[in-house]
Amino acid sequence: MSARAAVPLAGVPLASPAAARTAAATATTTAMTSVATSATTSAATSAATTGTTPTAPVDRRTPVWTIFPPPGEGARTGTGEVHAHHGEIVQGGFYADGVLEHGLVTLPCSLYRTRARFRPVRSGPLTVEPGDRRRARAAARLTLDALGRTGWGGAIRIDSNVPLRWGCGSSTTDVLATIRAVADAFDAVLEPAWVARLAVAAETASDSLMFAPGRAVLFAQRRGSMLLDLGGPLPPVRVLGFNTEADRGVETLSLPPVPYTVWEREAFGPILGLLRHAVERQDPALLGRVATASTLINQRHRPRRSMPRLLEAAAEAGALGVQVAHSGTVAGFLFEPGEGASPRVERAREALGRLGMHRSWEFTTDLSPHPEPLS
Amino acid sequence: MSLVHANMVDGIALPRLVWLRPNLVGLAFPLMKLLPARFIIRKALESGELRPGGLIAETTSGTFGLALAMVARLGGHPLTLVSDPAIDAPLKRRLEDLGATVHIVREPGASGGYQQARLAVLEEVLAGNPGSFCPRQYSNPGNPESYAACAEQLAHATGAVDCLVGSVGSGGSVCGTSSYLRRMFPDLVAVGVDTHRSVIFGQSDAGGGRTLRGLGNSLMPQNVDHTAFDWVHWVGAAEAFLATRRLHREHALFAGPTSGAAYLVADWWARENPDQLVAVIFPDEGYRYQDTVYDDAWLEAKGLRLDVLPRGPVEWARPHDGDDLWSSYRWGRRPYAEVMRAPGPRRELVPT
Repeated sequence: MSARAAVPLAGVPLASPAAARTAAATATTTAMTSVATSATTSAATSAATTGTTPTAPVDRRTPVWTIFPPPGEGARTGTGEVHAHHGEIVQGGFYADGVLEHGLVTLPCSLYRTRARFRPVRSGPLTVEPGDRRRARAAARLTLDALGRTGWGGAIRIDSNVPLRWGCGSSTTDVLATIRAVADAFDAVLEPAWVARLAVAAETASDSLMFAPGRAVLFAQRRGSMLLDLGGPLPPVRVLGFNTEADRGVETLSLPPVPYTVWEREAFGPILGLLRHAVERQDPALLGRVATASTLINQRHRPRRSMPRLLEAAAEAGALGVQVAHSGTVAGFLFEPGEGASPRVERAREALGRLGMHRSWEFTTDLSPHPEPLS
Repeated sequence: MSLVHANMVDGIALPRLVWLRPNLVGLAFPLMKLLPARFIIRKALESGELRPGGLIAETTSGTFGLALAMVARLGGHPLTLVSDPAIDAPLKRRLEDLGATVHIVREPGASGGYQQARLAVLEEVLAGNPGSFCPRQYSNPGNPESYAACAEQLAHATGAVDCLVGSVGSGGSVCGTSSYLRRMFPDLVAVGVDTHRSVIFGQSDAGGGRTLRGLGNSLMPQNVDHTAFDWVHWVGAAEAFLATRRLHREHALFAGPTSGAAYLVADWWARENPDQLVAVIFPDEGYRYQDTVYDDAWLEAKGLRLDVLPRGPVEWARPHDGDDLWSSYRWGRRPYAEVMRAPGPRRELVPT
């Protein structure tokens, strides 16, 4: 098992709903800390300490940095960090200048993230730790070439708590964090479109995380380019996430394209139309409609046995909609942001428990502060 | 998307959206049938049913023929349209200017009238030209599917839609648009607007032709999905014509009488349901009707001139043949046969 597979999921609710809420609330600040410590502790013990681990220097146990000489002129240790996503709001076929393209819009998720550090050397091998992250290594090589540093090497170190094979973009976060770390080492800031091209070159298909979370884009995952800039972030929503297949995952890169019917292929146009309206008006309720519509079409092609009951549970709890990782196993109930939704979230959590899904977690895409209303 | 359209069909295929009330948005199409014509031809080319430059043949005397002629001209396809003497002369000239061959059937068939005779000629043309393609708008699923573009535009512009009102001729626009909107808004109310002596929602076509043209049908189109409709309204010619004029006088919206019929129903629905957002489909412009619907003398001569619109429809307990009064029936998204089997005097089923 790789080091990352043993990493606990920061923010995954534990025994009681109350504990779960605490974990979710603190997940954002503790995620990286728990990753740093988990490299040397077992999954069980670090899971138990999630949310309570004191802040520790992240590279305390990374002596790998010290075996290289200081970086050459104009280069230093670079870092790059990237949030994962929680599957998609919509995934399907979209027309770009009359040509049908596979495209998706992901749901940013700050619970899970990947950090890469890159220590460059003017000449020498290019190594990656953990050693199985070959796509990250390829991305580093491509980025060095793109920055005119052909022949440079160095050490890449990746820390991540993004679950594998859940459809959360784990592979893309490795690649993107690495590209950013390499660029950072040379004080370069790369355009998202350029990052997208490097990412696709490194891993054949890529998610749109280089634009998240400030900008929602319709992204052609197989082509690595933006089909449509939605002009703003997704509307703010509270998400109750869970895994529909216990903890088993799927190998997302090996899934073949879905054979949509003509009606379904055309249906993604109206769904995109509504998503554009939802983004323009920052309307969480309409975002829920968009997510459920895409989920229903996906369900015909990659059915999940639990979906009919999940849709019922979501409706009964008063959720705005249901989103899924179209090539993965996570799913989420969407609620309006803020405390007002808490009773509905609680009802949904109980319903999930009755369906045998005892592990759920919570996050929000709400980027803005919510001051007390003026009285 | 480019600010300059690739061609005129792309330029005018989608409607302009106009507020008619705070809760009523009109979808004003210059020529609605461009959507199915463009989509059906594109799909046929993709599937290989139609070869580049191949012959297209269809029987029509209405706006679908004009839309096909525009699409065929731009795509470099020869087009043969089979029509009857009822085709209006300006339309025929326009079709021919677009390069279409218009074949007029002079004699009605022994049974089935002109419609039968036109179909016979069409089959002859298709058989005589191997590789030719017939769009068949009444049965081709590409007709309703083409309205995804319309649903996309509406959803982008207004977000949630509660009710869609439209006249029913081939079943494409209302069934197609509502099927896509319901993927996102399952509770959307779909209201179909038909006219008396049309078989689509259970009347018979006996007792003379329909004065209100462009909606309704004497044959049951396969593309009508009866389970799409929550309500059906039958509108008479006189009230549809006055509503058409109201649309023009009050909103400067110059449209044909099918638009007027839909407007009559949609405006009433919007007044009755002020908390719903209502969308109404206007399929074509008023130019073809300047000497008829837009001419008071013509209306007077035909006895179709009204001064006031009815306040609302008469609700029927079941579909039946009726006079020309505005009537409505709660169809309830049921299949045709189920509605006709419902308690009440039995009626003969119209073969589909």
